[in-house]
Amino acid sequence: MRLELDPAPSLGKVALAYAAFLLLALFLLALLFLAYGVSPWRAFAVFLSPLTDPLGLSEVARRAIPLLLIGAGLAFAFRVGFFNIGAEGQLLLGAVGGAYAALFLPPGPWTLFLMFLLGGLLGALWGGVAAWLKVRFGASEILTTLMQNYLAYYLVVYLVAGPWKGQLVFGFLYTDRFPPWAHLPRLGDTLVHWPTLLLGVGAALALQVLLFRTPLGFALRVLGENPAAARYLGLPVGRLLLWVGGVSGALAGLAGVGEVAGIHHRLLEPAQISLGYGFTAILAAWLARGRPLWVLLTAFLLGLVLAGGDALKLAFSMPFRVVDVVSGLFLLALIGAEALSRHRVIWRR
Amino acid sequence: MEEALLRAVLFGTPILLASLGALLAERSGVVHLGVEGVMALSALAAFALALETSPLLGLLAGMGVGVLGGVALGVFAVTLRANQFVAGLSLAALGLGASGLLGKRYEGLPLANPLPEGGLALLALGLALLLHLLLYRTRFGLYLRSVGENPKAADLFGVNVEGVRYGALALGGGLIGLAGAYLSLAYRPSWTDGMTGGLGWVAIALVILAAWEPLRAVFGAYLFGLLFFLQFRLQGSVPIPSEAFATMPYLLVILVLALSGRTRAPKALGVPFERGR
Amino acid sequence: MRRVLTLLLALGLGFAQGDKLKACFIYVGPVGDAGWTYAHDLGRKKAEAALPWLETRYVESVPEAQALPVIDRFVREGCQVIFATSFGYGEAVLEAAKKYPNVIFAHATGVKRAPNVATYMADFYQVYYLNGLAAGALSKTGKVGYVAAFPIPEVKRHINAFALGVRAVNPKAQVLVRWINAWYDPAKAREATEALLAQGADVFAFTEDTPTVIQTAARKGAYSFGHYTPMLKFAPDHVVSGQIVHWEVIYIDFLKKVKEGVYTPKNLQNVDYFWLLQHGAVEMGADYGVPINPKHVPLLQKAKLAVGGKEVAVYDRIMTLLKDMQSPKPTFDPFTGPIRDRKGVVRIPAGKKASLEELLTMEWAAPGVVGDWPGEPK
Repeated sequence: MRLELDPAPSLGKVALAYAAFLLLALFLLALLFLAYGVSPWRAFAVFLSPLTDPLGLSEVARRAIPLLLIGAGLAFAFRVGFFNIGAEGQLLLGAVGGAYAALFLPPGPWTLFLMFLLGGLLGALWGGVAAWLKVRFGASEILTTLMQNYLAYYLVVYLVAGPWKGQLVFGFLYTDRFPPWAHLPRLGDTLVHWPTLLLGVGAALALQVLLFRTPLGFALRVLGENPAAARYLGLPVGRLLLWVGGVSGALAGLAGVGEVAGIHHRLLEPAQISLGYGFTAILAAWLARGRPLWVLLTAFLLGLVLAGGDALKLAFSMPFRVVDVVSGLFLLALIGAEALSRHRVIWRR
Repeated sequence: MEEALLRAVLFGTPILLASLGALLAERSGVVHLGVEGVMALSALAAFALALETSPLLGLLAGMGVGVLGGVALGVFAVTLRANQFVAGLSLAALGLGASGLLGKRYEGLPLANPLPEGGLALLALGLALLLHLLLYRTRFGLYLRSVGENPKAADLFGVNVEGVRYGALALGGGLIGLAGAYLSLAYRPSWTDGMTGGLGWVAIALVILAAWEPLRAVFGAYLFGLLFFLQFRLQGSVPIPSEAFATMPYLLVILVLALSGRTRAPKALGVPFERGR
Repeated sequence: MRRVLTLLLALGLGFAQGDKLKACFIYVGPVGDAGWTYAHDLGRKKAEAALPWLETRYVESVPEAQALPVIDRFVREGCQVIFATSFGYGEAVLEAAKKYPNVIFAHATGVKRAPNVATYMADFYQVYYLNGLAAGALSKTGKVGYVAAFPIPEVKRHINAFALGVRAVNPKAQVLVRWINAWYDPAKAREATEALLAQGADVFAFTEDTPTVIQTAARKGAYSFGHYTPMLKFAPDHVVSGQIVHWEVIYIDFLKKVKEGVYTPKNLQNVDYFWLLQHGAVEMGADYGVPINPKHVPLLQKAKLAVGGKEVAVYDRIMTLLKDMQSPKPTFDPFTGPIRDRKGVVRIPAGKKASLEELLTMEWAAPGVVGDWPGEPK
């Protein structure tokens, strides 16, 4: 038995592949819950429970905000063949930029704008460095961006433990609280900082239009499909890549500003800021198949996985790792289904 | 100074083993981003079995889990031709998660008879040499490299591309499992959730620093171990923030990439093999 | 769809109601095997076992950003008392306290209170001093190692108390400090210990959530003191004593008073537990009920120190002070002046005891402490 490419899979076959893999994942999860002494039905109900009330929905939305911003940028970048997996670091740099504007520039009604500006610029710089290394030296961006994540991480540790450490934090690793000008408005008494959400929706729309409705977008897609052809056509490949790296980095940077200005109101330990959003957003982008607009859907789907996982560990006092297991299994099921639906099984050699 | 070199070797060993495993997979064209998760699960399996039987069986169990992890990745990355990066990341999450869920009852237990770190460090060194010979002096190594560079040509010459990739993933997985077992049976020796502490990602980075050469991985791993130790040894006696030491290995990787990025990586790295395409 | 989900939820959850008091715990890390969160969870379990009318729930590894949503859920599920067990939850707790004025909150290591927010802490500084005495007596090289988590006042206070103890026995001894900037990181704890061993330290104390320092020290035959939970089993020949916490003492007292109506969501503004040896909230011990590992008692009996001009065995001194500080009205306190910091500045004048405020904001370093000290006052 072996697999062969299926150029035109029927809709029924695709549906069947997805159904089969998702059922398999659900079955494995059910086994896991049973082993843990929890009824699978109850567990699934709790997992979906964020969808049933405003509180849960706001939690899904809050988680989806950074995933949307970063995911839209990454879907765009992946489409152009720039495999930026450094969103985690770009988000942190954005948070650093935002924190600088909030803490050290004169406060006023312009503060939030300056925070987003500076955070976005630093994010763009961090993404741009990887693009530059690729263009200038041919260094794989997958690896440079991964390394840059660590540099950003230690930069934040250095700042909050050293020069930026707050006076009013009892020696803990925080900066002082941002002044009120630097706080993003939230929806009611939830943590949904809606301006960042709007930015995310706007970014997804704008990138979708750019990619599929403009000559520049066409050039970028050619570059993504076939770099050699792009060069042959005389496209400014280097400039385009720098641009793409900058844009995806900037969006991750904006997400970082959103987290510190909307939720934390200070710079703090890096792991507490990024919470793995940079990596989860890769999955959001991948699920969106290089269409920034689709991230509107996938970011909220993954937001649900995160919020539902939280609900699970809380409802049953389960170890926090249950979130990892649930998301890991679902993702494997999704990519398995995707791969299978593109192929047909040949039973003889 | 002696002490520093010893620490470089003993803390470098788990990183070396894991990166040798990742390296083997990558030479065959498959990126194994699941290292962190597989290592975590291996560490648990090794510890659990060591506690209930013997450390040597534990070591084997750890390797066994590593092999299974490699094969699991193979199902997605080789057979199904799914996106290797996403499959690897999912596997990492799944492994970490499963180890945390399954391992609760093994937390807080001392291991009466741990394995000697020195012996395992020598073993790791020997394995690096062996891997070098395997890659450059054996038929399998030739197949493996050709599959990683040009699977189409290899296929035309009758090499079973999928079989070789599964072999590399299984063998590499065994090494990754050994790294996990080293942590829970020798380095700690006990088990807690999250004890791999990001070493799996370091190992993946190291593959690049080593330019996909097993012997260079030895130096890279030891260098990382040395810098990690020095951040504590020199803390307070040099006016350099410890974060600067911590970033050095990653800066080095970027530097190496910039200096040699264009040529080294296996050409088919990360690309699923489709016959007739 | 939504109806179906609600139905599933109602079927699935069916929360046990009744006249049980529901207390819910927010943990900052995984329960793990030995550290901070593990100790809180042990306290939770013991409280639940001791109080038949108590029902508890917990959720582990809650990042700071998620504290508020977690509290939202806990309140919705009927939690009447919520324990937030990390400093970083402070702002979320105060915000939630306003949102839910009828829920009682208690914030561990917290500093800000409200009508429905109490703060609590079980502190080790007395125990650290006693362990310091033993460490000073046991060190042959005169170098004692301390692997420290974060340079915050709590940890600094503990190191200082420990160093004062060490110096009381051996006035020339040094306490070498290494910061690992992590509460849980076995690899950093291991390598920091190795670094200190390489510099000649032969006795160890630490703040980290695993027994790694103890295991590492024992390989080289160095003594060590456990932290948070009994760690004797990890190195039976080398653990001398340690700091053990009994959060259940605070939890049981607090919850009883809630049940009896002494504590209400209106009167907690001044409720602050800073519980010590005399309350039984902490214990000196290699294991429960084993203040000093019997294997090391003879050595500590042989070692002497001068107290008020008289030679006293270190072991006897430890036991006398322990008994005193466990009594309802202790007369001894490690932070009794005159105490200068390592730069010679008088920090506690002669005859004075450090106030609670001074303990909670301690930034100076005691004499004998060697190493980086972020935030050290000029």
